[in-house]
Amino acid sequence: MGGINHSLMLKLAVRNIFRNSRRTLLTVFLIGSGLAALLFTDAFVKGMVETMINISTQTYLGHGQIHHKEFRKSNDVDYFMSEPTKLYARLDELNEVSAYSPRVMTGAMISSSQNVASTQLLGIQGEQEARVSKLKQAMIDGQYLSGQSQEIILGSELADLLDVKLGERLVVTVSAAHGGELSQELFRLSGIFQFNDRQMDTYMAFTNLDKSQKMLNIDGIHEIAVTFKDLSLAEDKSQPFWDLGNDYEVLNWRELVPQLNSVLEMSQYSTLIVTVIMFCLVSLGLINSMFMSIYERHQELGVLLSVGTRPMQIFTQVVLEGAVIGCIASVMGMVVGSALSVWFSIQGIDYGSLEYGAITLNDPIYLIIDWMAFFQLAFAITCMTILACIYPAFHAARLSPSYAMRKTN
Amino acid sequence: MNKVIQTQNLSRYFGEGETLVKALDDVSVTITQGEFTAIIGPSGSGKSTLLQLIGGLDRPSRGQVMLDQQDISHMSGNELSDFRRDHIGFIFQAYNLIPVLSAQENVEYIMLLQGVSEADRKQRVRAMLNEVGLKGMENRRPAQLSGGQQQRVAVARAMVSKPSIILADEPTANLDTHTGASLLDMMKHLNETENMTFVFSTHDPKIMERAKRIIRLEDGKVVSDESR
Repeated sequence: MGGINHSLMLKLAVRNIFRNSRRTLLTVFLIGSGLAALLFTDAFVKGMVETMINISTQTYLGHGQIHHKEFRKSNDVDYFMSEPTKLYARLDELNEVSAYSPRVMTGAMISSSQNVASTQLLGIQGEQEARVSKLKQAMIDGQYLSGQSQEIILGSELADLLDVKLGERLVVTVSAAHGGELSQELFRLSGIFQFNDRQMDTYMAFTNLDKSQKMLNIDGIHEIAVTFKDLSLAEDKSQPFWDLGNDYEVLNWRELVPQLNSVLEMSQYSTLIVTVIMFCLVSLGLINSMFMSIYERHQELGVLLSVGTRPMQIFTQVVLEGAVIGCIASVMGMVVGSALSVWFSIQGIDYGSLEYGAITLNDPIYLIIDWMAFFQLAFAITCMTILACIYPAFHAARLSPSYAMRKTN
Repeated sequence: MNKVIQTQNLSRYFGEGETLVKALDDVSVTITQGEFTAIIGPSGSGKSTLLQLIGGLDRPSRGQVMLDQQDISHMSGNELSDFRRDHIGFIFQAYNLIPVLSAQENVEYIMLLQGVSEADRKQRVRAMLNEVGLKGMENRRPAQLSGGQQQRVAVARAMVSKPSIILADEPTANLDTHTGASLLDMMKHLNETENMTFVFSTHDPKIMERAKRIIRLEDGKVVSDESR
C-alpha cells in the first residue's frame, strides 16, 4: 500500500521540470556546458601531455640516453664512453631499441669573419641522428650533414648572430680532452636548421662525429640517444636496455628532463582541480535551481502530503527530477564536448611556439579523446546531480503540510 | 451512532512568551458518522486550525484527536500519511489541484498511492467525474478548467477513495453564488447517498443553511454547538 506507481512519479518529474522551461534549460545548459568543458579539458590535457612528450623526445632528446656514469655531473669531455662499437653491438641486439645515435659534445667558440659566439658543439653521424631526432627535418637552408669533413650546420639565430652565409668559413675552437689543449678547425657552413626553440636555434652547432672526435682527441663518444619501438618501453625498467652495466648512466626522458615530468604531473592535478571546481559550481547551480522550484511549489507539495503522499515519496520525486535534469544535461554535454574534442583532435590547436615547462610547443596540440574517461565523467556528472538534489529533496520531504500550504496561501 | 471524530482538550499555540497566540484553546468536539457539520466563526477564530488538526496536517500543542477510534496525535509521519490517504478526503478553498496532472490524473493520484489496480482505478475515476458533472473533461489540466470545474475535480479527488471523513476548508469562497450552490447540493447528495461525514470550515450562509450541525468558534474556543 505504501508504494506508488513509478511511471506516475517519472511523469510528474518530467512535467514538473518543464513547467518553467527557461529555468530548466538554463540549468541543463549550466550542467551540460560544465560537462562539455570538463570533457574538452580532459582531451586537451591528454593531447598536451602527449604533444609535450613527443616534442621533447622526438626533437632531440630521444626516449632514453646513455652516458659515461660521471659525464652529466661535470660535463667534462674526458668522461667519454670508450670502445663504443661494443655498445653499438649490444644495442643492435636489443629488441626494444628501434634506433640510436652516438654523439660527442663540448662547449666551443665559433668565429666568423663578422662575429664570435659561444656554442654547444655536437658531433653526430648524420643518418643515424636522423632516425632519432628531427634535426634533418628542421633544415631550412643548405644541406644536412653528409659526412664530408668540413661540414657544419648551425641554428638559424646563431647563423644570424655570426652573420654567416652558406659556404662561408667558420673557425671552431674547443678545449681537447686529456689536458685541455686548445684545438681549432676550419669549417664551411653547409646548412641552417630551425627548431623554433630559442635554446637550440641560438646555441647549437653540429658537425660530423669523426671530425669532432678528432678535435677533442678522443676515440669514444659522450652520449647515445635512443628511441624505443614504443614510448612506454622508456618506463619499463625490466627491459634489458636498462641493464647495460655499472660503467654507464642510463636514463629515460622523465629522468633527463625532470622539469617536464613536474609539468606533466601539474597538468594532471590541474585537471583534477578544474574537475572539482566544475563539480562544485554545477552542484550549487542545481541546488539553487531545485530550491527555487521547491519554494514555488510549496503549496503543491503540501497538497501532495495532505492527500497521503509519504515524505519518502516526495524525496524520491525531487531526486528523480534532478536525475532527469542530470541525464538530459549529460547527453547535451557529451554531444557538445565530444563534437568540440573531435574537431580539435583533427584541426589541432596551434600555440605558435609558446614555451611552457622547458618545452617549446612548436607543434599543434591535437586533442586525445579517451571515450572511457568521457563516459566516466558523464556518469559522474549524472550521479553528482542526483547527489546535489538530496539536500533540497530532504527539505521538501520534511515540510509540514499545514506550513507548506499556509506559506503560499 | 459511530463516533468518527473526537477531539479532547485540543489546543494549538503559536509563538511563545509575550507573542504566544492561542489559535485553538481547549476544544472538545465529537462528530458522528454521516454528519454534515459546519464550523463557523470570524476570521482568526481557529476554524482552519481545527480542521488542520482534525486532518492530521498539523500537530496539536495539547490534547488529543481520535479519528475512527484511532489516536492520530501520536502517529509517526508515515503512519499519519497512510491514515490521511485511507480515511480523509480534503477539499481546499483554492482547489489545490496538481497543475501538471489532468483532471483524471488528479483524481486517480490517491488510488495510485493506495495501490488500486489500473482497471479499478479507471472505472472509479470515470464514475466519479461523471457524478460531479465533468464527463468529457477528463484530460483537461486545471488551467483549462473554470474555478467551479476545478473545485468539482477537488471534490472527486477527495471522495473517489471512499474516505470516512471529508474535510472542506471554505470550499465555496472562490466560487460564484450559483456554482457554489450547485457544488454544495452535489456534496449534500453524496453525504446522503454515501453516508460520508462532511466537516466544513466556512463563512458561507449557503453551507450553514444545509448543515445539520453548526459549531461556532470565537478566539479559539467553542462558543456554541447547535444541531438541527
